Amino acid sequence: MESCLKDQIGAVLLPGDVFTFIKTETISLTDTSKAEKIICGPGLRRNGDDVVVCKSGVLRHKHPNLYWVDSQQRRYVPVKGESVIGIITTKSGDVFKVDVGGSEQASLSYLAFEGATKRNRPNVQVGDLVYAQFLIANKDMEPELVCIDSSGRANGLGVFGAGGLLFKVSLGLVRRLLAPQNEIVKDLEKLYPCELVVGMNGRLWARAATVQKTLIVANLLESSENMTAQQRRTLFKRVADGNL
Amino acid sequence: MAGLELLSDQGYRLDGRKATELRKVQARMGVFAQADGSAYIEQGNTKALAVVYGPHEMRGSRSRTLHDRAVINCQYSMATFSTAERKRRPHGDRKSTEMSLHLKQTFEAAVMTQLYPRSQIDIYVKVLQADGGNYSVCVNAATLAVIDAGIPMRDYVCACTVGFVDETPLADLCFAEESGGGSSLALALLPRGGQIALLQMDARLHQDHLEALMEAAMTACKGVSKVLDEVVRQHLQEVSVLTGE
Amino acid sequence: MRDTPLSNCERDFLLKAIEEKKRLDGRQTYDYRNIKITFGTDYGCCFVDLGKTRVMAQVSCELVTPKESRPNEGIMFFNLELSPMASPAFELGRSSELLVKLNRQLERCLRNSKCIDTESLCVVSGEKVWQIRVDVHMLNHDGNLMDATSIAAIAALSHFKRPDVGIQGDEVTVYSPEERDPIALSIYHMPICVSFSFFQQGTYLLVDPCEREERVMDGLLMIAMNKHREICSIQSSGGIMLLKEQVLRCSKIASVKVSEITDLITKALENDKKARKEGRKCGFAESMPQERITALKTYETSVEMTDLTKQASDIVESAHARAEIALSPVLPAPGMGQVGTGLQNAWGLEDEDDEDDDDDEDGDEPEVTIVAEKRGNKEKRERPVVIISDSEEEEVVILNPESS
Repeated sequence: MESCLKDQIGAVLLPGDVFTFIKTETISLTDTSKAEKIICGPGLRRNGDDVVVCKSGVLRHKHPNLYWVDSQQRRYVPVKGESVIGIITTKSGDVFKVDVGGSEQASLSYLAFEGATKRNRPNVQVGDLVYAQFLIANKDMEPELVCIDSSGRANGLGVFGAGGLLFKVSLGLVRRLLAPQNEIVKDLEKLYPCELVVGMNGRLWARAATVQKTLIVANLLESSENMTAQQRRTLFKRVADGNL
Repeated sequence: MAGLELLSDQGYRLDGRKATELRKVQARMGVFAQADGSAYIEQGNTKALAVVYGPHEMRGSRSRTLHDRAVINCQYSMATFSTAERKRRPHGDRKSTEMSLHLKQTFEAAVMTQLYPRSQIDIYVKVLQADGGNYSVCVNAATLAVIDAGIPMRDYVCACTVGFVDETPLADLCFAEESGGGSSLALALLPRGGQIALLQMDARLHQDHLEALMEAAMTACKGVSKVLDEVVRQHLQEVSVLTGE
Repeated sequence: MRDTPLSNCERDFLLKAIEEKKRLDGRQTYDYRNIKITFGTDYGCCFVDLGKTRVMAQVSCELVTPKESRPNEGIMFFNLELSPMASPAFELGRSSELLVKLNRQLERCLRNSKCIDTESLCVVSGEKVWQIRVDVHMLNHDGNLMDATSIAAIAALSHFKRPDVGIQGDEVTVYSPEERDPIALSIYHMPICVSFSFFQQGTYLLVDPCEREERVMDGLLMIAMNKHREICSIQSSGGIMLLKEQVLRCSKIASVKVSEITDLITKALENDKKARKEGRKCGFAESMPQERITALKTYETSVEMTDLTKQASDIVESAHARAEIALSPVLPAPGMGQVGTGLQNAWGLEDEDDEDDDDDEDGDEPEVTIVAEKRGNKEKRERPVVIISDSEEEEVVILNPESS
């Protein structure tokens, strides 16, 4: 089965496509049949002995045996461990309610900030932006966020946002931006110095030296969603030229 | 009503007023004992009653509480006997809802709501006899009621409806003039600063006449504010005499 | 459904940007977004796109008994629907404040201004008159629903044709469109609503607010005017304090905008009429661009990207013009002209990106011929008729021969 999955890497799959685990027709006497282990990522589900595709998209592969379907989506579903940008909606008791764009609001305890104790409460207001990580995120429970990592340090998480602009993009673009050596960020670096916070829930926050530059960065990112690399490069170049 | 001129050659209107004259205003404050503030006003033949409750705890939807201001809740209704034909739906129809929204908007601008966070102020206005300028009379009545209730405001809110006939602005329209087909502009003003809290105009008016009409409206509102001021002072005097100060 | 709350940083940023006279999508303070008007196959169906805000209006008629107070006038009925399709904040069935406000404003703008000759709608005085019903549906809410609604309503009314009636004695026969040609309504003038939003207690003013700007605004002033500079309705909402000078200034700006928009509507109507006469296919399905990744596309707006002087920005605007009106318009569908849609992208230039501009003044040589267009925004107005089917996806999808 792995071989038929391997063939399809980079191909577009539709929901309902099945990869059955067929035993090899000819039993090779020399090779020992090894038990193949495949890790199914998002978009693939196991159905008995078959792997069924349930989202439409392109099949991707990561060595050694991780497969997933790269699909496009706008609405976010909380996943444990992902870092997202949330907006504080209410302060009730010891817990903040945070809107992350999912089906329900996540809770964020006030103790989950660096240096916060019962006496020393964090300075968080309704309407602030927080960059936080999911501690609990499954379909049966209310999602929980934290702003510290396992060792108790903030490590980039926490309240932020003064002076920048928050805007929404699709999840696919966000994943592209977070890829290790992606070109969009490289091109953007060459353009202006700017700060960028990428939330996996499709929210981006940008800040540059002036309001005008921030607006340009925001618009560039929003529009690079549907452009080919070539178009994007030309656009960035035009912006860079225009700025000189 | 065909053939009746809204403005005669000598400059007299249907009821004998001149173009810039307001109707006779009579008002009383503190009409009801139950409410926190109440007022009754008669402007010509238009009679309106306003009652204010508040600031009190949010009732109904808790979710609409504002954490830094009071919520103003207005209801405008017309008595079924207020118009020539009996009104089927005194409130709940589109026009009344729209008027309620406008009243709310006007008073949100004038009342100092930041002093009462997480509370609610109710303003109920009822038109007992409608003879033109309903909205304006309601605003005037509500202003008096809010003052009677002791809720702090930035300034009086005075309103007046003006119309435009034969190149002349007519102040304080009556029903016949309103439905006569000319344009009518309702303006709610805070007289001291000259700030307009609400501006509403229907029917066609050429752009060039807008300024003249607005000027006339503002002057009329200032006239109304003087009258209301008188009423308030007189009421205060009566009350202070009773309390023996 | 709950709408995403507005964070403090967005609010601060928007207000700061407005203070510096910069808008999110690069428009100037008095600019409208692109307006695109398309008509459906039936008479009286109209779609209006104001940037991403999308609104549909449909006019229908039926014979009813007239009101007792006005026995020889027809009846106009307006109905607005805010469906949750348009925005997660709208809930079906519940009449919210916004719905009442929009409904009343539409009624006042169109009915009280007497833009339609209601007496011509009378068939038998006192017994049968035409009731014209305008239904407007919001399809996508990206700010400024009122303007889009008024444009859609008046365009639909101008497009509508009612069946012909014949009266023989006491009998009234309504002829179907096959028997006798339907008759258009007699419209005296076209009132268009222009919305102004105020920020920072009335210090800053923007025309045509988009959804985010609407969220941070203090209040709104809606002025409905027609081409002849007659004001049909003014309504201020939102509890702002206005000064007389502000209102007068707004009315002057409104008169300019209204004449531009009225020209647009008339042009769209003419295009549609021509298309129908020539027997070409018309209708909404035709107006949807084929081979697009998403149906929502936005057009370029020039963003002043540099801090150069006025000179540079003038060149910019004319350069921008060139990009738009490069080819002669092709009219595949009524109500709009397209340049290069679905066909080869004859420019060789890449893209249209959203609201990102091309102000590479120095780079592109401005087409001096187009300098006749005074301001960049002028073209945007005409654009819908000469639409550049630009959307960033264009190149990606068109795998045809030439392509870029």
